[in-house]
Amino acid sequence: MLQTTTVVTPARFEQGLHYDQFMAQAKVNRDKFELYYNDPALSAEDISFFKKCVALPNGPAKVLALAEAWCGDVFRELPTVVRIAEATGMDLRIFLRDENPDIMDEFLSNDGKARAIPVFIFYTKETRYLTHFTERSAGAHAELAAIMSQVRSQMNLPVGTTLATAPQASKQAFLGEMIARITPRFNDWRKESIKEMRALLARALCIGDQP
Amino acid sequence: MKKRVPIVYTIRGCDACVKLLTKWDAEGIAYEERRADLSQEILNEARMYGSVVPIVIWPDGRIEQGFEGALGCFI
Repeated sequence: MLQTTTVVTPARFEQGLHYDQFMAQAKVNRDKFELYYNDPALSAEDISFFKKCVALPNGPAKVLALAEAWCGDVFRELPTVVRIAEATGMDLRIFLRDENPDIMDEFLSNDGKARAIPVFIFYTKETRYLTHFTERSAGAHAELAAIMSQVRSQMNLPVGTTLATAPQASKQAFLGEMIARITPRFNDWRKESIKEMRALLARALCIGDQP
Repeated sequence: MKKRVPIVYTIRGCDACVKLLTKWDAEGIAYEERRADLSQEILNEARMYGSVVPIVIWPDGRIEQGFEGALGCFI
């Protein structure tokens, strides 16, 4: 969080949607949310770690999610956080990104240029900010870059070519090949997200990232 | 005879979709927008053509995903 003041007051936090309310307003992807809710990628050890955090005097008691049901990263990651909240007793409130630009503005990514979601923000019971996770893990971002490099080599495109700079005739093939390589990685990216949230909380709470 | 226009599947919260529509509007390009964020039926339709929006179906049958180098949003 870049600002020293925040619009997320205890009263504002209370205005967020519970998961069942979020799902009730979702126009799309209910099947995907259900799929990932039923297969949350969390191990027993992960749950033990999050429970340990919540038990600390200044541990996380609340988690705010910025989300939209149409977003692929959201339907992949939000159900995991729902499961963490259910297992630990953390109060999860969901805010729609496009209806809450003031909250989103506090958690922009890519040097303040991107409104990437999901964002999961962990707070103490007094709604004091602890840490937050955005969109996907650093490992997933690194893998995306590696995939781009592999596809570039395979297509004999010059080093440094991106989707934006690829020749027009190659753009769709470049993008199609990237999608084909990215999609099978989604389940592992979910596990990477959990690992990163554990590391973020461990750092914020000055504890080890083991249960 | 009515002129055939490209069909574009979009999600209005997706930056790549907004950029594409902004460009086409500025250039006066006619199109039929189908919003995948508003209906599961349209989202399912979009998924038959690709994995990321925007997805453009050109009148000659060509299919394009993303916009000018942006990956777009996975659907």
